[in-house]
Amino acid sequence: MPPLGLPIYGQPPLAAGDRRAPDAWRSLAERAGQADPAGRPPDGDAPAPASFGRRSFLQVLSASAALAGLAACKPPRERVVSYVRRPPEVTPSLPSYYATALPAGGYGVGVVVESHEGRPTKVEGNPAHPSSLGGAGLPELASPLELYDPARIAGFRRGGRPLAWSALLDELSEVAARLAQDGGARLRVLAEPTSSPAVAALRADLRARFPGSRLVAWAPVSEDAAREGTRLAFGRPLDVEHRLATADVVLSLDADFLATEGDHLRLAREFAARRVDAAAMNRLYAAEATYTVTGGAADHRLRLRASEILGFGRAVAAALASAHGLAALAPLGAAAGGAQARLAAAVAADLARARGRGLVLAGQRQPAAAHALAAAMNDALGNAGATVLYREPVLLDRSSGPEGLAALAAEIRAGGVDTLVITAWNPVYTAPAELELGALLRRVPNVVYLAAREDETTAVAGAVVAAAHPLESWGDLRARDGTASVVQPLIAPLVASATELDLLAAFLDRGQVGAWALVREGWRRRTGDEGFDRRWDRWLADGVVAGTAAPPVAPPLDGAAIAAALAAAPPPVAGVEAIFAPDDKVLDGRLGENAWLQELPHPVSKLTWDNAALLSPATAARLGLETGALATLRLHGREVLAPVLVQPGHADEAVTLPLGYGRRVAGAVATGAGFDAYALRRGAAPWIDGGLEIAPTGARRALAQTQGHFTMDGRALALALPVAALPGALAELEERRGPLPSILPEVDYSGEPYRWGMAIDLSRCIGCGACALACQAENNIPVVGRSEVLNSREMHWLRVDRYYEGPAEEPASVSQPLACVHCESAPCEYVCPVNATVHSDEGLNEMVYNRCVGTRYCSNNCPYKVRRFNYLDYHTVHAPQLAMLQNPDVTVRARGVMEKCSYCVQRIERARIGARVAGGTIGGDQVVSACQQACPAEAIVFGNLADPASRVARLAGGERRYDLLHELGTRPRTGYLARLRNPNPDLA
Amino acid sequence: MSAAPGTPAVDPLEPTPFLVGRPGDRALTEELVATVLGPTRRGWLLLVAALGAGMAFWLVALGATLFVGIGTWGNNIPVAWGFGITTFVWWIGIGHAGTLISAILLLFQQRWRTSINRFAEAMTLFAVAMAGMYPILHLGRPWLFWWLMPYPSTTRLWPNFKSALPWDVFAISTYATVSFLFWFLGLIPDLATLRDAATTPRRRRIYGLLAFGWRGSARHWRHYRIGYLLLAGLATPLVVSVHTIVSFDFAISLLPGWHTTIFPPYFVAGAIFSGFAMVVTLIVPARRLLGLERVITIRHLDNMNKVILATGLMVSYGYVMEHFMAWYGGDPAEAFAFVNRWTGPYRHLWYLQLFCNVVTPQILWFPRMRRNLVVMFVVSLLVNLGMWLERFMIVVVSLSRDFLPSSWAMFRPTWVDWGLLFGSMATFGVLFLLFLRFLPVIPIAEVKELRREFDHEDRLVAGGPGHRPEGAP
Repeated sequence: MPPLGLPIYGQPPLAAGDRRAPDAWRSLAERAGQADPAGRPPDGDAPAPASFGRRSFLQVLSASAALAGLAACKPPRERVVSYVRRPPEVTPSLPSYYATALPAGGYGVGVVVESHEGRPTKVEGNPAHPSSLGGAGLPELASPLELYDPARIAGFRRGGRPLAWSALLDELSEVAARLAQDGGARLRVLAEPTSSPAVAALRADLRARFPGSRLVAWAPVSEDAAREGTRLAFGRPLDVEHRLATADVVLSLDADFLATEGDHLRLAREFAARRVDAAAMNRLYAAEATYTVTGGAADHRLRLRASEILGFGRAVAAALASAHGLAALAPLGAAAGGAQARLAAAVAADLARARGRGLVLAGQRQPAAAHALAAAMNDALGNAGATVLYREPVLLDRSSGPEGLAALAAEIRAGGVDTLVITAWNPVYTAPAELELGALLRRVPNVVYLAAREDETTAVAGAVVAAAHPLESWGDLRARDGTASVVQPLIAPLVASATELDLLAAFLDRGQVGAWALVREGWRRRTGDEGFDRRWDRWLADGVVAGTAAPPVAPPLDGAAIAAALAAAPPPVAGVEAIFAPDDKVLDGRLGENAWLQELPHPVSKLTWDNAALLSPATAARLGLETGALATLRLHGREVLAPVLVQPGHADEAVTLPLGYGRRVAGAVATGAGFDAYALRRGAAPWIDGGLEIAPTGARRALAQTQGHFTMDGRALALALPVAALPGALAELEERRGPLPSILPEVDYSGEPYRWGMAIDLSRCIGCGACALACQAENNIPVVGRSEVLNSREMHWLRVDRYYEGPAEEPASVSQPLACVHCESAPCEYVCPVNATVHSDEGLNEMVYNRCVGTRYCSNNCPYKVRRFNYLDYHTVHAPQLAMLQNPDVTVRARGVMEKCSYCVQRIERARIGARVAGGTIGGDQVVSACQQACPAEAIVFGNLADPASRVARLAGGERRYDLLHELGTRPRTGYLARLRNPNPDLA
Repeated sequence: MSAAPGTPAVDPLEPTPFLVGRPGDRALTEELVATVLGPTRRGWLLLVAALGAGMAFWLVALGATLFVGIGTWGNNIPVAWGFGITTFVWWIGIGHAGTLISAILLLFQQRWRTSINRFAEAMTLFAVAMAGMYPILHLGRPWLFWWLMPYPSTTRLWPNFKSALPWDVFAISTYATVSFLFWFLGLIPDLATLRDAATTPRRRRIYGLLAFGWRGSARHWRHYRIGYLLLAGLATPLVVSVHTIVSFDFAISLLPGWHTTIFPPYFVAGAIFSGFAMVVTLIVPARRLLGLERVITIRHLDNMNKVILATGLMVSYGYVMEHFMAWYGGDPAEAFAFVNRWTGPYRHLWYLQLFCNVVTPQILWFPRMRRNLVVMFVVSLLVNLGMWLERFMIVVVSLSRDFLPSSWAMFRPTWVDWGLLFGSMATFGVLFLLFLRFLPVIPIAEVKELRREFDHEDRLVAGGPGHRPEGAP
């Protein structure tokens, strides 16, 4: 029991050289005799203990406790203040929660981050934030993995030389001084649109110092068309806010507003709230080409090519004008023929019935004219001011489309750019193909690129500045309604890195000031000195700056301009239509290095680790293609090789090309995933293009879909029924719940104070997959990789099944989140030979990992197939850094052990400890499971069934409740509520 | 079915005898110990080398399974049991013939068992050894397999006796133990013969040790007979119980395709079916190579083929009843499981299984075919294949498509799966070759006894009526 050098009671002191066995090593790099790539000596300079006895353990423990404060001895440059549930003093093992905001398209989404001893492990929604309301989306939930990503760039380099931050500041300061001589005429900044007031202030200062410089905003997925549409309609660009709470009839013109567009978390919540009461159901018409989450939630999904959707909108406008007396729409409408006319008439009638309670939305992919038309229709229907609000734009950049980038490229080609500061994500990869930005950037003498990971742009940038993760940064962001949030760090930067604020400040010779001071002083300036410190602490604690929402405006509509724009709008494209779409998971590609997201099944296609060209069954049949076939896609002279996925319900003669995959320079995760749709994307037609040629190659690429069968085969699994059919179906639903006769002695739970249970409302569920991702983050669920997913070994405890109903060409769909349903009479339990899965008194079906020998009989006997098996060692193969990400309250499972949903038993136990300490009981709704917390639609409710006042008990007693596979007599604790559809009787 | 009074040892209705000629004791001894004490033949060495290579492959696959994990197999969710359990059930089934021949036929006083029982018992032992490997290997944490056994521990944790898997542990370990004892007890007189005939001191010592001091005294024979009969009585219920309990592994579950009460008899019939087929597969070449045509006659093979035909018909009946119950039971999930066999992605294997197990045995209705060595060898191979496929259909195909279509998935075996399947066959072959070389394949003492019985009967026939022959043990 030698080590440590500290004198150990009862043992002779050690010789100095004896501290560590000569052959001991702590990292591969150390063994190979290399220094750490980051330039640090491996593992600091503390000698590693060679062996550990009880005494030495206690010594180290006490030393650690005594020295724990040392970390605080650095001068506190920045301060972190805790959120609502801050414990009176920091107690090890008790997590703290901090509010901050994460960027999403330049806006802020408020989140609450769980932190264990200073390690952020889990992101949840912030109920106080107007864009979150407590829900969280996929990018937010996956962000902790980005933080600990071992592939992050560490430090700063210029021309291949590593530089310290101060040295980099000196060099940038020199560059800035040189540029300032001609007013910055040769300085350009390529940034992403942002709403940050602190960035706005710095940009203003930069303009003042470099009046000749120019800032180009670039976002491959932007809402320019919406702002341009409002400019057409109202004479100036405005932000549109939709409100679904009071909208009875919603017409979506290609807007995926429930999952990828706009304020989707809030909209999903408002939408879902109108899907549960049969008497107050809203009705959603979704016109779209690609099958989206929104289309799946719609009552009527109108399958149209993307370039024909504007025409359908005009047909509705024409019907409103002609049949419902809205004369203002007459010049905007254009009647359609055939089936579309009937649809348009029905939609128009519905919208006309719901004046002031209807809503028309246009998608970001649609041209500005479509947005203007939507504004005109909302105006004519009296929806403006009720379900649609307009605001002055919150983003600093009104336009971030390809035009600005093209102008910048022209300047570079002309040699007019000396220094280009890039804070936008990977423009070389995302820029329109014809610009060939990668080759152009090599001509710019100074390219300074702020990047978190090696990518296509770091390969051509002279200076690379490691970007700090939002969870380790100070900053500020505004929500879509203008409400500001302060972005606060949860942890000191794990690697030497800088924020966008730091980098911009460097050009003002203020790089040493730090983001904290920049943000804080900005807010002090804006709100005044008096009581500022208290205000500031309040904002940090709440996660929002109260009272900063932008007021709505009600500008007059310019019908003539809209009519002109509609007249000039592009006609439906010729040939096969190419539709570019941000991916549901990796967005424009920036999250491609996130293994959680790569492995998360796509909400609609259930595809993991790849994107694929989506096309309809009819088009696939015409081209002789099937799912997994590789095809050459050629568009205006450029071509890519892409696997094809046949998507039921996709528009015919159209192909959806999801962006964000097929990276050429990337880390281990994104490399080899999918094809690059940007290679086909032109600046002139960034969203909808015509003339796509598809040639089968005969080769195949296996697509790792987690679901292979999308039909229910006539079985009653995920129930969905029209509102009108509900009264008639009540008897059948009644049969699908409740006790069945059994020869087994019944376990009596009636005396238990807690009977944990869950209710999942399929009527609310939109199938976005946030629950599955939240579960992965909460429960330390490993990522297994593409080949293992291909072999059906994905580990997600919670999956979202998706079933199609109706014809393959135009199917409706229903999503069903499914985790362990915690059967009271559990088939898995009696077959386990070693009692490794047993029942708790409170009704949990518990897995005892230590006892599991891995016969897998439990999984075979599970009719729901929700158990997951560690076929290989899925945990220790990952970088040790990722161990920081693990939730310490949840066991990390070893190879050869079965696992499954535990109803977040760690949260139940935490609540129990709290209740015992307080001398009370756990409230019926007090325990919130991770999936429930994340769900933007509030479809999942967990709680105590023994408490009749709890939400879950009320839902479980509801008339729509049924048990999945009830006939097997498993008596699941998770109940489902049948989905209601609200089809238009006129379209029956 | 003891011979009726006055029946000649050579039945005119059974033209082929159980023993060709009436060789003397010395001739029999010399003939039957020659395989053990004679020189090592090149053919044997070549066979051992070839199967040894297969065994090496098996060891590599075994190493991969233990050191990398069960993930080297093709198993997944929903198909959490794959080749491992399929092959386990297959080997266990094969192991049934030995006990049936040794015990049940002994109790029923079937003389024709005499020449082949040693052979079948050895096959049983090796098959059970192979089978016993899989339930341990297929565990996620095989080093903890002993948790399935009830043992007093400080944790006071016991196996879950509601689960069929601990029953399996008892059934198989009991079966292996009794089979071994039965086999070894039968060997003792022959080991003594070998000891006495041994040409080198080392062999004399080894066989002498194994013979436990057998001297062939009347007391020895009396004890031996009692012990052998008792063990036969013990082993008889095992023939039925082992595969019954193996079938419970499936029958107690609620999975469509597993959850059925017909499984116990259906599994036992299938086990005897495949076990006899394996005996034929092994015995046809072995009797030729070892020159045992005189003691293992066409009559033996004919009888075994009759058993194969009979059990094959029982298995076919099982298939029919499974389908009938799936329809009659009215459970859509159950009905689907059987429709899926005919129309699902594994349907070709199902058709092949039906061909092997239902169609092929029908040829054995014809006496000429039953006595044709080539025909019976091919039939036995097809039955072995068919029975493996049957277990594959039950285990894998039922799992691959169960209640929720969203979780359906296919099973794709890996090289480790194939390595463990074919490697276990090679290892079985190596063990069997060692048995052929180092132990008497034919129970010498029993054949001599049979010869004396035949002599006695011949004398009785010659001596006229009024005398009843002793019942043959």
